[in-house]
Amino acid sequence: MVKSKMNTYPFLKGFCLLFGLVLLAACQSGTDKTSSTSTSSIQDRLDNKEIKYFSNGKRLYTQYCANCHMEDGEGLGKLIPPLNKADYLLKDVVGAAKIIAHGQQGEIMVNNIQYNQPMPGYSNLNANQIAELLTYISNAWDNAYGPVEVNDVKKALNK
Amino acid sequence: MNTPIKVFFSCLMLFVISCSESNKEMLPIMGRQTFKEVDGKVDTIFHTIPNFQLVDQDSAIITEEVVEGKIYVADFFFGTCPTICPIMKQQMLRVYERFKDQPNFVILSHTIDPDHDTVAYLNEYAKRLGVEDNKVWHFLTGNKEHIYDLGSPEGYMVPVGEDEDAPGGYIHSGAFILLDKDRRVRGFYDGTKAEEVDKLMQDIPKLFAAYGEE
Repeated sequence: MVKSKMNTYPFLKGFCLLFGLVLLAACQSGTDKTSSTSTSSIQDRLDNKEIKYFSNGKRLYTQYCANCHMEDGEGLGKLIPPLNKADYLLKDVVGAAKIIAHGQQGEIMVNNIQYNQPMPGYSNLNANQIAELLTYISNAWDNAYGPVEVNDVKKALNK
Repeated sequence: MNTPIKVFFSCLMLFVISCSESNKEMLPIMGRQTFKEVDGKVDTIFHTIPNFQLVDQDSAIITEEVVEGKIYVADFFFGTCPTICPIMKQQMLRVYERFKDQPNFVILSHTIDPDHDTVAYLNEYAKRLGVEDNKVWHFLTGNKEHIYDLGSPEGYMVPVGEDEDAPGGYIHSGAFILLDKDRRVRGFYDGTKAEEVDKLMQDIPKLFAAYGEE
C-alpha cells in the first residue's frame, strides 16, 4: 500500500534522488581511474590454452612487472618505458624473453623516446612463465600480437 | 508517516550524506606525545620532524626553512629501485599535478641511496618523471646517516635502511607522510595504492582548511 502511494510522487522522488546523487558526486573529490584492459577481441586471436596463458601472465605481470611498467602498461614518464603500443617490444616479442630472464642495462629507444633505467632480470621464472608473461603483455591493453609459443621462448632463451 | 514527508526526509538524508565529508574534519596528530607541567598547567608536546639540511635536484640547499609555513608530503625512495618506487612516483605525480599550484605546498622525496642518487642523477630523474623545476617537489640527497635518521622514529617514523637481501639492496617504506605547518605528522598513506593516495588528496585540503586556507 505504501508502495502504491509512493508511486504517486515519482517525479519528486526521482528529482530528489538525482539531485542528491549529483551532490554526492560533487562532494567526493577527484578519484581518477586507470583504464581497464580491453579483452573484447582476445578470443579472436587466442585459443583456450592461450587465453589460459594470458590469464596466468596477467597474474605474473602484477607480481613482477606492474610496479614499474604500471597496471595499464604505460610505464612512468621518460624513466620507465611503456609496454602498451611499444615498438621496441612488439617488433620482437619472443626476443623480449631474454630481457625478462636476464634484465637489461643501457639506453634503449621506445616509440622515439630514449630510456635509460636498468631493469632487473627474473632468473627464477621458467620458459613457461615467461611465455605466459609475453602472451599477456603482447595482447593486453591495445596490443594485439597473438599467441606466444613456449618452444620459441625456449629457443630465444638459449640464443 | 505520509509519503511526501517520507520523500522529503529521504532527500534530506541524501543531502546530509553527500556533504558530511566536509573539510572541517580534524586530522589526527601522530607520534609520541610528551607532557610538560608548569604551575599545574599541562602542555602537550607533539612529535615534530627535526631540523635537516639536504640538497635537491637543482643543487639548492634545502633545510627545514623550505617547509616553514607550508603543508608538505614526504617520502623515501631510491632511483634504481626495482620494486615499489616507480609506482610511488606515479602516485606522487598525481599529488604533484593536483596541488603544484597551491600556495604553501611542498613535496620532499628523500633518496635512501645518496651514493648513487647524486644531484645530477636526481636532476635527470625528476625531469624524466616530468617535474621540470624544484619549486614544489624537491628530490633530496645528502648525508646517508642524516637521511636515515630522518626516517627513524625520531623523524618521519618509517622504516628505511640497507638490506643485502632486499631487491635493489634497500628496504624502505612506501608511505607518503603528510606534515602540517608545525612539522607534525598528520597522516600516513600507502603510496603504492591509488585509493590511499586518493585519501591523501582529500586530506590535504582539510589540513589547509584547518589553517583557514582554501
